[in-house]
Amino acid sequence: MSEHRSDERANGIDDAQHDVVVVGAGIAGSLVAKRLTQAGFSVLVLEAGPATAAAFDDYSNHVQAFYAATSKGPESAWPPAAGVPQPDTADIRTGDGYFVQAGPLPYGSTYTRLQGGSTLHWLGVSLRMLPEDFQLQSSYGVGRDWPLDYWALEPFYGEAEHEIGVAADVVDQTHLGLEFAPGYDYPMHRIPPSYSDRLLAAAVDGMTVNLGEDQLALKVRNYPAARNSMPRGDYRPVGAVDQRRAGQGDGHGLARDLGQRCAGNTACTPICPIQAKYNAGKTLAQADGRTLQVVAQAVASKIQLDPVTGEVRGIEYQRYDDPASARHTVHVARGRVYVLAAHAIENAKLMLASGLGSASGMLGRNLMDHPSIYGWGLASHPVGPYRGPLSTSGIDDLRGGPFRARHAALRVDVGNDGWRAPTGAPDSTVTDAVANRGLFGTALREHLRSTLSRHVRFSLNVEQLPSRSNRVSIDPRYVDLLGNPRPVINYDIDEYTLAGMAAAKRVYQEVFRRAGIKDCTDPEQGVWFPSVAYQGDTLHYHGMGHFAGTHVMGNDPAQSVVDTDQRCWEHRNLFLVGSGSFPTMGTSNPTLTLAALALRTARHLAKELST
Amino acid sequence: MTSRRDLFIDLSVELTGYSRVQLLGTGMSERYLQALDEVLPDGMVDEFLATSAALPTMTIDAILRSETWGPVTRNIMILWYCGRWTALPDSWRAVHGTRPADSNHVISADSYQAGLQWVAAGAHPAGARQQGFGAWTVAPEEAAS
Repeated sequence: MSEHRSDERANGIDDAQHDVVVVGAGIAGSLVAKRLTQAGFSVLVLEAGPATAAAFDDYSNHVQAFYAATSKGPESAWPPAAGVPQPDTADIRTGDGYFVQAGPLPYGSTYTRLQGGSTLHWLGVSLRMLPEDFQLQSSYGVGRDWPLDYWALEPFYGEAEHEIGVAADVVDQTHLGLEFAPGYDYPMHRIPPSYSDRLLAAAVDGMTVNLGEDQLALKVRNYPAARNSMPRGDYRPVGAVDQRRAGQGDGHGLARDLGQRCAGNTACTPICPIQAKYNAGKTLAQADGRTLQVVAQAVASKIQLDPVTGEVRGIEYQRYDDPASARHTVHVARGRVYVLAAHAIENAKLMLASGLGSASGMLGRNLMDHPSIYGWGLASHPVGPYRGPLSTSGIDDLRGGPFRARHAALRVDVGNDGWRAPTGAPDSTVTDAVANRGLFGTALREHLRSTLSRHVRFSLNVEQLPSRSNRVSIDPRYVDLLGNPRPVINYDIDEYTLAGMAAAKRVYQEVFRRAGIKDCTDPEQGVWFPSVAYQGDTLHYHGMGHFAGTHVMGNDPAQSVVDTDQRCWEHRNLFLVGSGSFPTMGTSNPTLTLAALALRTARHLAKELST
Repeated sequence: MTSRRDLFIDLSVELTGYSRVQLLGTGMSERYLQALDEVLPDGMVDEFLATSAALPTMTIDAILRSETWGPVTRNIMILWYCGRWTALPDSWRAVHGTRPADSNHVISADSYQAGLQWVAAGAHPAGARQQGFGAWTVAPEEAAS
C-alpha cells in the first residue's frame, strides 16, 4: 500500500529543512505557526485530516452534511478520512470505534481529525483556570501542583483571549480569586445573556447550597465565550475563513462580511454555519504565508531520532490524495525543532508508536476528562429555548473552595438548547407526543408549543484528578487502515470525582426546586450515556471532549514528560503542546489554557530560534 | 378530481394542526409524497389517500387505530414536524414487506430546516435561519401570549 519516496517533489512536497515542523493544525499548532511565521521563521504544518474547512464553499458542505445527518452528534458535520479515523460519540455504546475501550469504564469524549481540529465543533467556553487550580496539592492535598502559577500564565491568558476572540466582561469574571492584569478587559463585550438566563438568575441568585461543610451562595453568571460580539476599543472581530485554492477567490484568507457577530444559530456544536465562533482556521489564515507551508492529508507516523544526540532528526508522515482510500506515500519532514500539537491522545500515541518518552513512565498516563451529569426539566412558563448560542451562562460558584479537599469541584452550564443534548429533542418530544401520547392535529401542535417552549437543560461538569491508571497506550493488535496504532484507553472514575458527581446531581435538583422547574431527568428515556454505580445510585455521565494529562508538565524529569516550556525532557528539540501537558484541569474547559500555554511556548521558541 | 397532493395536504392539515398555507409554505409536500411512494409498496399510497379522502366519515382516530394505516400516519406526522422518516415497525413490515427507503433517515437538508417542530417551539432550526445578534435575549412570543 505504501511506498517510500526519496524524491518528494513529485507530490509538490519538497524535503527542505524548515525551522519548525508542527504536527497538527488545530488551535495549538495554528497559534505556534502564526507566531513563529510572523517572527520570520519557516514553519511546516502537517495535518492528518483534509483541509475541507478552509474554503468557505467547502465549509458550507459540512453545514449541509449536518442538516442531512440522521444523528446530530458533535461529529455529524465532520466525517473523517478513511485512514485517519476519529472517536465518535455513537461508538461509546457499541465499544467498537476508533478507541479501544479497555475499561473498566468507557471514556466518554471525542475529537476531530480535520484541519482546524476540535475547535470546528467546540462550544467556545473560554474560562481561565482559577489560581487555586494550579496548586491543588498544596492547597487541598489532592492531585498535583502545576510547575507554573496563575500569574506566570496570566499575560498569556490575555494574549490567548485576543487571538481567539473571547467575548466577556472582566467585571463578571473576578470571583473565586480570579484576578486580571490592571486595566485589562476582554476584546469583545460579553455575549448577551439569554432570556432564560435572566429568568433563572432572578429565581436563583443568592440561594445557597451545602457542599460538605461549606455553604456556598449561587449566582448565574455570563461566561467568556469564543464567539464574536460587540468589539471593545479598536479590536476587530475575525469572521469566517475563506482560503481558496490557487486561482480562486480574491486572495484574502478571511471573509470580510460574514461571522463578525454571533447570530444565534444555536449550533455551536457541531457547526457554526457563519463561523462567528472561533475555529483554528482563523489563526492559521493569519499566519505569514511567505514562510508557512501547510500540508494537509499528511499523517505523522513516526518520530526519527539521531542515535548519538537523542534529538529528533525528522518526522515520517504518510501523505494520501484520496480521503476515501488508504493509499499513501511516505515522506520525512525535517526541521530545527519539532512541535507535536496533534491532540492529547494523538501526541501520546505518536510518541509511544515511536518508542519515545518512556523514561518517567508518565507518558500516556493521567488522562482526564470532565465526566458530566445532565439535568433536564420543565419551567413553569415559556423560557424561549432552542434559540441563541447553545449556552450563554453558567453557575461557577462551585468551582473552588475548601470542599475540594473532600470531593471534586463542579461547574454548571445552563443551556439555551432545550433538551436537545440529553434527549434528542425536539425530535424526541414529537415522537413521544405522536407515538406514546397518541396526539395529532391541533392537540399535537398545542402540546408541542406548551412543552418545547419550557424545556430547561443543565450540564454539570465535574473535575477529575490525574491518576496513573487512566491512560492511553498502544497495542500492536489494534491498528488503523494506515497501520498506525489505535488508542487503547483505560479509564475509571474515582471516589473523589464520583462524590462530586453525586453532589452535582443534588445541586441541580435544589436549583430546579428553587426555580420552580419540574425535574424531568430520566436517563432511561434519554440519549444513551455510560453509567457508573455510586452509593446505591446510578450516575449517567457524558464526556465533555476535555482530554488532558497524557504528557504531564513538571519540574522533575522523573515525574513528568515535558518541562514548563512544554519541551520534552528526553529530546530537547521536541515540544509537546496542548492539554496533554496539564497536571490538573480544574473545572475550566481546557482550550483557553492550552492556547495560553502554546503562546508561551511560541514565545520561548522565537527567542531560542533567534540565538 | 382532487390531486394526490391535495389529498395529502388535506390529510396532513388534520394530522399536524397546521393550515394548508403553512404546510405548502414548507415547500416539502411533493418531496414527502415522493418519500411515501419510495417506502410503501406499489399502489399503497393511493389506497391510503383514498382512505383518508373518506374523512370525516372516517376519523383520524380510526386511521390511527388501523394496523395498516396507523404506523404510516404517525410517520407522516413525524415527517412534517421533524423532516425525517422513521423505519416502520417489524410487525408492519412482516405483513406489507420492506423497501430499502424504509429506514431511519432525514429526508434532505431542506426537510430538516422545514420541520414544524421549530415553529411549534417558537424557535428556528438549529444551524439555520439565524435570528440575529442578541435575538435570544428577547422574551419568546409564547411568553407574551
